[in-house]
Amino acid sequence: MDRTLKALSLVLSYPTRALQAAMPEIGGVLAADTRLTAAARRALRPLLEELGGRDIYALAEQYVMLFDRSRTLSLNLFEHVHGESRDRGGAMVSLLETYRAGGFEPVTSELPDHLPVLLEFLSMRSCAEARDVLADAAHIFEALNARLVRRESPYGAVFAALLQLSGARADPAAVAALLHEPETDPDDLVALDEVWEESEVRFGPDPNAGCPVSRDILARMDAPAPPVPPAPQHAAE
Amino acid sequence: MSHLLDRMNFLQSKELERFSNGHGQVTRESRDWEETYRNRWRHDKIVRSTHGVNCTGSCSWKIYVKSGIVTWETQQTDYPRMRPDLPNHEPRGCARGASYSWYLYSANRVKNPLVRGRLMKAWRKMRETMTPIEAWTALQNDPILRASYVETRGKGGFVRASWDEATEITAAANAYTARTYGPDRIFGFSPIPAMSMISYAAGSRYLSLMGGVCMSFYDWYCDLPPASPMTWGEQTDVPESADWYNAGYLLLWGSNVPQTRTPDAHFYTEARYRGTKSAVICPDYSEAAKFGDVWLNAKQGTDAALAMAFGHVILREFHLDWQAEYFEEYCRKYSDFPMLVKIEDKDGRMIPGRFLRADDLDGKLGQANNPEWKTVALDETSGALVAPNGSIGYRWGEDGEWNLEEKAAGAEIALRMSQILDEDHDEVIGVDFPYFGADATEAFDAGDRRPNVLTRNVPVRRIQTAEGEVAVATVFDLFCANYGLDRGLGGDWVARHYDEDVPGTPKWAEKITGVRADKIVHVAREFAQTAEKTNGKSMIIIGAAMNHWYHMDMNYRGVINMLVMCGCVGQSGGGWAHYVGQEKLRPQTGWLPLAFALDWGRPPRHMNSTSAWYAHTDQWRYETLTAGEILSPTAPDGDWDISLIDYNIRAERMGWLPSAPQLKTNPLEVAKAAKAAGREIPDYVAEQLKSGDLEMSCEDPDAPENWPRNLFVWRSNLLGSSGKGHEYFLKHLLGTDHGVLGRDLGEEGRAKPKEARWHENAPRGKLDLLVTIDFRMSTTAVYSDIVLPTASWYEKNDLNTSDMHPFIHPLQAAVDPAYESKSDWEIFKAIAYKVQQVAPEILGKETDIVALPILHDTPGELAQDQVRDWKAGECDLIPGKTAPNFIAVERDYTAIGDRFCALGPLMDKLGNGGKGIAWKTGSEVQHLRDLNGVWEDGPAKGCARIVTDIDATEVVLMLAPETNGAVAVKAWEALSKATGRDHTHLARPKADEKIRFRDIAAQPRKIISSPTWSGLESEHVCYNAGYTNVHELIPWRTLTGRQQLYQDHLWMRAFGEGFVSYRPPVDLKTITKEVRDAGDSLVLNFITPHQKWGIHSTYSDNLLMLTLNRGGPVIWISENDARSAGIVDNDWVELYNANGALTARAVVSQRIKDGTTFMYHAQEKIVNTPGSEKTCKRGGIHNSVTRAVPKPTHMIGGYAQQSYGFNYYGTVGANRDEFVVVRKMKKVDWLDREKSWKAPAQEAAE
Repeated sequence: MDRTLKALSLVLSYPTRALQAAMPEIGGVLAADTRLTAAARRALRPLLEELGGRDIYALAEQYVMLFDRSRTLSLNLFEHVHGESRDRGGAMVSLLETYRAGGFEPVTSELPDHLPVLLEFLSMRSCAEARDVLADAAHIFEALNARLVRRESPYGAVFAALLQLSGARADPAAVAALLHEPETDPDDLVALDEVWEESEVRFGPDPNAGCPVSRDILARMDAPAPPVPPAPQHAAE
Repeated sequence: MSHLLDRMNFLQSKELERFSNGHGQVTRESRDWEETYRNRWRHDKIVRSTHGVNCTGSCSWKIYVKSGIVTWETQQTDYPRMRPDLPNHEPRGCARGASYSWYLYSANRVKNPLVRGRLMKAWRKMRETMTPIEAWTALQNDPILRASYVETRGKGGFVRASWDEATEITAAANAYTARTYGPDRIFGFSPIPAMSMISYAAGSRYLSLMGGVCMSFYDWYCDLPPASPMTWGEQTDVPESADWYNAGYLLLWGSNVPQTRTPDAHFYTEARYRGTKSAVICPDYSEAAKFGDVWLNAKQGTDAALAMAFGHVILREFHLDWQAEYFEEYCRKYSDFPMLVKIEDKDGRMIPGRFLRADDLDGKLGQANNPEWKTVALDETSGALVAPNGSIGYRWGEDGEWNLEEKAAGAEIALRMSQILDEDHDEVIGVDFPYFGADATEAFDAGDRRPNVLTRNVPVRRIQTAEGEVAVATVFDLFCANYGLDRGLGGDWVARHYDEDVPGTPKWAEKITGVRADKIVHVAREFAQTAEKTNGKSMIIIGAAMNHWYHMDMNYRGVINMLVMCGCVGQSGGGWAHYVGQEKLRPQTGWLPLAFALDWGRPPRHMNSTSAWYAHTDQWRYETLTAGEILSPTAPDGDWDISLIDYNIRAERMGWLPSAPQLKTNPLEVAKAAKAAGREIPDYVAEQLKSGDLEMSCEDPDAPENWPRNLFVWRSNLLGSSGKGHEYFLKHLLGTDHGVLGRDLGEEGRAKPKEARWHENAPRGKLDLLVTIDFRMSTTAVYSDIVLPTASWYEKNDLNTSDMHPFIHPLQAAVDPAYESKSDWEIFKAIAYKVQQVAPEILGKETDIVALPILHDTPGELAQDQVRDWKAGECDLIPGKTAPNFIAVERDYTAIGDRFCALGPLMDKLGNGGKGIAWKTGSEVQHLRDLNGVWEDGPAKGCARIVTDIDATEVVLMLAPETNGAVAVKAWEALSKATGRDHTHLARPKADEKIRFRDIAAQPRKIISSPTWSGLESEHVCYNAGYTNVHELIPWRTLTGRQQLYQDHLWMRAFGEGFVSYRPPVDLKTITKEVRDAGDSLVLNFITPHQKWGIHSTYSDNLLMLTLNRGGPVIWISENDARSAGIVDNDWVELYNANGALTARAVVSQRIKDGTTFMYHAQEKIVNTPGSEKTCKRGGIHNSVTRAVPKPTHMIGGYAQQSYGFNYYGTVGANRDEFVVVRKMKKVDWLDREKSWKAPAQEAAE
């Protein structure tokens, strides 16, 4: 079992008193994993300390606010891959089948694409497989890290760590595409404006060119959101 | 050995091997491409369900499920085929509905029960040593602890809770509230049951067992057109959309069918292929406008003037200069035109008064039963006054003559409609009609300076009554005078020609509405000609745009008058098609017992929401509209100079409107005291009220004893969408940050109410606990103390019907509820059992006292033919007659859960019924025992089980005439007794049909005709309202029994609405000098229509919808207005007035008429809403700039059709008379400087 992945799965779970009690042990596992750079391990420390020592209600409020309620920080990976598109159901079925093929049956009320569920699964797979799957989601980790850092949340370090474990560099274009999403960050007014901008209507010589507004919208909807293939499809192969 | 010869050099075998005797083969070719299709269509089952998305669509969908996950959905195409000459219904289901499925797995879903962190922390701490009841009591008794969570509402801070904890807090709070203040301090709000009736019923059943208050929605949403109950005695009854196809002429008035009725719009298109002509009336160039053969762009809010001009033309050409035979006969039989009205003498001025009644005449025309409720007309045959069959006096206390046969006292009659002929009248007198056209505010001023009373000549007869000689006129003659028609009687204010500028003429309407007179004449003529040639196949499809005005009744009655004059109502392809929020709960009488626990105790507590929210959110403290501004100059003498809340208090006191809470003292305590005094409850309460020892809660809404303490919101976004006066909700009911900009009457130094007690300091934070049950984090959920995650439409079993088509179909649990969510049925069941567990500490078997207003469709509706207030000493307090009735209801708080899950004994004992008819239903109850099983022991021993949501659907389907043919026959038999005519032929062919849940799961089923509705579900006609009134001669449930175009109640006359007239929008005075900043010059009328990129009033936060729209709140303004304020398209703008402020992007469009701005309703502030410069708070929602303003005429009760019914009659939340200042924002501030999860403003935005 890859105890580091399992530890990160726990750290990203809803904080409970049991989790608080286990924090020393979890911290020990993470501190000992040399796949993570010293800097990455150091960066995890504030979160580990907070989870271990802070008032459980404050932790819970923070968790609900970040991960249950902010769409752009959702721990359901497909939220960032498929959003509300029709591909989401099929993708989740593929992932579920991957778990089953790996000999596991989910017994949680969380959906299959919930990151702690995936991490727990990967902790029971070969290092190579785990690395490959994580690499596919690298751009999501990068984006979540960026968003959390912007909120000055210590949770960002978890995603930085996952990125390291994947051994991949996130495709900058894919990250940019994610960070470009309208609700990403209210700060980013320029990005927001761009999303809202409608293309100019031109009545040109080609009557079949179509309405540029709807054409653009359709093109945006058709385009696979991230250029990088999503994690589970790879996992299913 | 060389293989060269054996090896293929250039070819490869396609086939590797064969198996199964050559039926199978293994090949090399790649079949990866098949994956695409497998992925797209992968499923292991297909389930029928629909979206209960608060829209009237009711469209059947196929849900594809694989491994417990929804993978795909498509429209069902198996609706039963209709008649050969009618287009079929498919395909139903629109893109908005289709965008729903992925909401199922959206990050916006509520995953776990959530509780406000501070509340949770305090609760757990207290629960270490205390029982749940003790813990809640301690929390409420500690002002600091209470404030700690109350004041943080809307500012985040949720933690997850277990179901056990969340339901325990809720149950403890409810039990504590019932014990401390009374069960009627527990409120619940949920709208539109038809879209998922079991989900609605779950909450209302729980509340009703507790003694809590179910709040109305149809009136609050301002979707109820009070003109319908006034005219027909019916809430709303309309043709199904397929009947549009049968129309000869379709007038779309303020309705945008292609945009808002997507799955039905094809019938509108198909009708045009059939040759139907269509006119569209709306101020903007809407999507419907382009369907019209003619588009009349009337100025918003002036529709009544247009309707009067149409009526003027129709009367002139089809009733006066030439009498269309069909119209004449129709109006004689089916309208109140022939009824006689007494002309009252007020200081020498002659004013239309009450209908002449049998009681007014010596000998009472031989009527011993209810003579004061039998209207009188003149019979041409005998020349005598008669009390024709069918008036409401015949409905109660006798059988057999409540019908529309042309008879009186058993003899054939022919009623006289007009006394215009010289030999038919004694004289011609000048009668006063109020005129409001000159009272317009600046924005609606058409330069009209006419007097406010217009005297017109009317032919009258003088007759002897018990009180002496009076002049009487027919409704028709007064009606013609009111429309300003010159009938050769001389006098002023009447016109011979259309181009005379006299109130009522097309020329006059042109000045007000901006529509050219010749176009008005053209449309009116075509509309009537078509009706005349087709016997009434002219239809008016009418939308919210007409109904959301303060004087909506004038718009609607103007339209209804046209339809009645042309004989369209009750005719296939004709009539009044009001499609505004009203979704028809077809199996209504089967559903009522389940929904309101009528099987365990009657009556339930119902409340009209507009009055309740007006009082409890303290909007009345800011009321600037005085009664004087809306009173008629012809008002009879009376004490009219009171404020709007005073009118409401009087209405509650006289038993007209319901109350919640009801008595200032806990009703459980009052019942105990009555018992101790050895008195009957009604007598005891009456005596105590008279002595002043008991007080009605309505008289002092701000006293802590009278606050609503607990509120459930489910299936609704009360705070994000429908809450007129949103900021007042936040300020007073919730007690959190708010954006109210204006000051209250005390601070303003204005006149205060006379009846309502004034507290110098208004309370803040009346609610102890706000529980929202939803599957998404709506604006309401953000403000709640507890959020419970519920199942969505693909995760529960339920029933769904619509007024748009005659089928009933199911919602089904295609998959288990995601995350920790549960169905509404399971949630309320859990709360009910929890109460049973925690309440016995303080509650046992209790006697509750329910104050019941005088109800429509009961014998009580004949309570008050005169208006008398017992508190003013005008009469004695007689419960149920001059005041609400006070009824003892036994509750068992130790068995709430057991009762929730069992069909109680009252169905066997008292039977079932609805709309004034009743039948025994013992055999159906026995069927349910056989079908669902029986409780073997416990408090519900011997009762049928209702454990699952499917059990609950079976209760509805079994008890309702619409889904059980045997019950339908019983229901028609019961009605036949009252009318003296046999109607059972309408259901007999279906007597053996019983629709069960598994039937509708297989295919949507067409329902069975029932007397609950006025149309037929037949193989020959489409459903159309009023059809059985016209073709079966069943009276309308009004005073006259006819379609009633004259309203004679004292308050109707006092407020000048005996007849229709044009009343300009009211002045709400919300743009005050204090509020308006210097330099802000653009003031626009604020209109909130339905949107295109949202699912009715809710799901505009869906990413697909946001992408298709502009990704956040927008308002529409005209190019000219934009230019004047320096606004260009896509600018951020701010809208504000005294009620609050909102921020949005501007869409600058030629579509919009100058002087107005549109903001589609229900764009939520949880999405992309920056801060307002005006309030320095997160910009509000569309209701941030509105405030509810009730109207006294909607409070009338105890008077035939103007008697209370839940969602049937009552005050409505009008909001289109509102004006706002619009300005460009200087800078956009997202209020997110504090980059922490604790930043309250940011929290509310996420």
